[in-house]
Amino acid sequence: MSKITFRIGGVHPDDNKISRNCAIETLPLPPTVYVSVSQHIGAPAKPVVAAGDKVKAGQVIAEPGGFVSAFVHSPVSGTVKGIVSRKDLAGRPVPHIEIAVEGDEWAEGIDLSDTLVTEIPSDKAVILEKIKAGGVVGLGGATFPTHVKLNPAPGKVADCLIINGAECEPWLTSDFRIMVERPDEIVVGAALMQKVLGCRCVIGVEENKPEAVEALKASVAKLGYPDIQVLSLRKRYPQGGEKQLIDAVLHRQVRSGCLPIDAGAVVQNVATALAVYEAVQKNRPLVTNTLTVTGDCLPVERQHNYLFRIGTPLSFIMEQAGGVPEGAAKIISGGPMMGKAVSNVDAATVKGSSSILYLTEAATKRNPQSNCIRCGKCSDACPMGLEPFLLNRLYKAGDADGLEKNAVQDCIECGCCLYSCPAYIPLLDNIRQAKGQVMGIIRARAAAAKAAAEAVK
Amino acid sequence: MDKLIVSPSPHIHARTSTSVIMRDVIIALAPAILVSVLFYGWSELLVLGVSVASCVFVEWAITKWLLRRPSTIGDLSAVVTGLLLAMNLPATTPWWVVFIGALVAIGVAKMTFGGLGQNVFNPAITGRVFLLISFPTYMTDWTMPSGFVRSVDAVSGSTPLSALKEALMSGSTISDFVAGYDGGWRALLTDIGGSAGEISAIALLVGFGYLLLRKVVKIWIPLSIFATIALISLIFNSVDPEAYTGVLFNLKTGGVILGACFMATDYVTSPMSRTGGIIYGIGIGFIVMMIRYFGSYPEGMSFAILIMNCVVPLLNKWFHQKKYGRN
Repeated sequence: MSKITFRIGGVHPDDNKISRNCAIETLPLPPTVYVSVSQHIGAPAKPVVAAGDKVKAGQVIAEPGGFVSAFVHSPVSGTVKGIVSRKDLAGRPVPHIEIAVEGDEWAEGIDLSDTLVTEIPSDKAVILEKIKAGGVVGLGGATFPTHVKLNPAPGKVADCLIINGAECEPWLTSDFRIMVERPDEIVVGAALMQKVLGCRCVIGVEENKPEAVEALKASVAKLGYPDIQVLSLRKRYPQGGEKQLIDAVLHRQVRSGCLPIDAGAVVQNVATALAVYEAVQKNRPLVTNTLTVTGDCLPVERQHNYLFRIGTPLSFIMEQAGGVPEGAAKIISGGPMMGKAVSNVDAATVKGSSSILYLTEAATKRNPQSNCIRCGKCSDACPMGLEPFLLNRLYKAGDADGLEKNAVQDCIECGCCLYSCPAYIPLLDNIRQAKGQVMGIIRARAAAAKAAAEAVK
Repeated sequence: MDKLIVSPSPHIHARTSTSVIMRDVIIALAPAILVSVLFYGWSELLVLGVSVASCVFVEWAITKWLLRRPSTIGDLSAVVTGLLLAMNLPATTPWWVVFIGALVAIGVAKMTFGGLGQNVFNPAITGRVFLLISFPTYMTDWTMPSGFVRSVDAVSGSTPLSALKEALMSGSTISDFVAGYDGGWRALLTDIGGSAGEISAIALLVGFGYLLLRKVVKIWIPLSIFATIALISLIFNSVDPEAYTGVLFNLKTGGVILGACFMATDYVTSPMSRTGGIIYGIGIGFIVMMIRYFGSYPEGMSFAILIMNCVVPLLNKWFHQKKYGRN
């Protein structure tokens, strides 16, 4: 058992990687795609096409709407039907670009071949520009624009790039599949980002994926880039959390309220590394991603890993995979610990979509809540070292000062507290609310301080 | 698929529950209970039965008629309190005394504070101490072990600690006492007259090992209690072996093992942080030894736990987990 892991908290859910042997299949094109303008953290992208426009796959259809924002490209060729308001996964209305699919024609200059391009451009500005132009965002969950993350503020220096192949969420296997099937591309992608940052690189993979560790090690040895190391980590959730991974790999902690770069680290997901490879070496923007279809009520022969075009409706993928299985009570986009329950199966996939997970009522139902027995399992499980039972109590008492003092704003919403609570107290539900309130207070205070400073000038 | 469940993450659960934890405690107590029944026979079975039934009944009755809330007896915590109370009583305790103990444990110590998780004092110990003060004759007239595995020549006697206390108070030294005590040190250490649950240290420790294995409790609290008792006994005993009892004697008698492993580790009435737990354990060990060496009660474990229970809210306030990125 690997000794390398984070030092505080964590839980060990069954990993249920049932779909691990499902090789990646290319999903057929849907008749229509709906491309959201809010597929990343930050400002929504601004559409640059209008109804009636003919578009090719890989062509820009929306431009960044701010500094922290990203390009959006057409995933298909066809005709733009219009900019429509459509409900996302959670049922919120978001502008989408609706495109009727016609054939599969790609924009010029995009290399669709399988030839591996290993030569790293010597100018890092070129790499960064191509990553930005390719609309690459973090695919580990947060969808933070990659070019922003790779371009630290002046005075901040990264000494280690960590490529996140932990895939610590149970059930999901899409990262595992790309690590096994496309390790060379991932390693080249890592080398590209390493070139931009000018530091060493560690690829961290949990030890329940030995094939991935072997494949990446072989690629690193074969390709011969300097200073890239593949590390096997202990299986423990949330190992793939940015802060936890930094602690595991570098034995360093990101100070509260700071960014990973302040601890000298930049973390990028393996799928992001693949997207960076394609954007930089193949001029191919981020218009596809890999997604796992899995669940406890889905027989293994009906589980899949699909390469899908971004904007494909979930319902289309679900139909392709044989429809909603008998007994499914909850459909989750993402993993069972941090994923979102789908209330709208017509929602379109986005860059960050990683799975369709079907769970039965037996697997997902919360038992009725009972009294807190002060067992402390929530504090033991919290990877941020918080005391969820206390935060829950302070939230109920409406004590915002107490919540801030006890660091509710540090919560990463990993779900370990509620997962381990024997009394089924909705700890994370309440802590999320509390965190929202406290973050609001902190922001208001910062704004007031800034205004006061301006006034003095 | 007509309806989908939509709720916030996490979508899965470890499927632990309060009743599973309580069931583990019951399993852990089983070896010690078995030994006590073998040694004390039917009378011990009666005490156990009355205690558990009374605790469950009192909790059920209070939720139904006084609080008018859904019953909480399903979480099995009343069963655990019942078992622990019985294990802290002599096997000869009359049924109505046991019932009063249960009434105080559940009715006063637990339910008046709001039920499971809200109480400040350990219910079983509160029940026991109430009986100890109210019915000293029943509570100190310990029967020497004699049950299913031995001939029925029940000897009424005192516990090693109380016999010793009397001896020391009347001016004799420990060696006089040992010479005069039937069977000497050997008997003291193998068959301990006292609360029914204390009879086998091995059985208690086996049960505690199970709790550790199941990760129900952590070792900090018992370990710091044992270490403190051992250290204090070692110092005093080496200074004056005739006036102060030794390490092994103090660890094995007077409910130290039962108290440290099963009562002081009660979630509700013990601190939540590791540092808090260690301080709590040291406090219990220290108070026990002060009562034994300088107080008028011979055993002291119950009082030590109750006194330290009062400090728990403060320990919880002062000592917290180590937070990520905030050092």
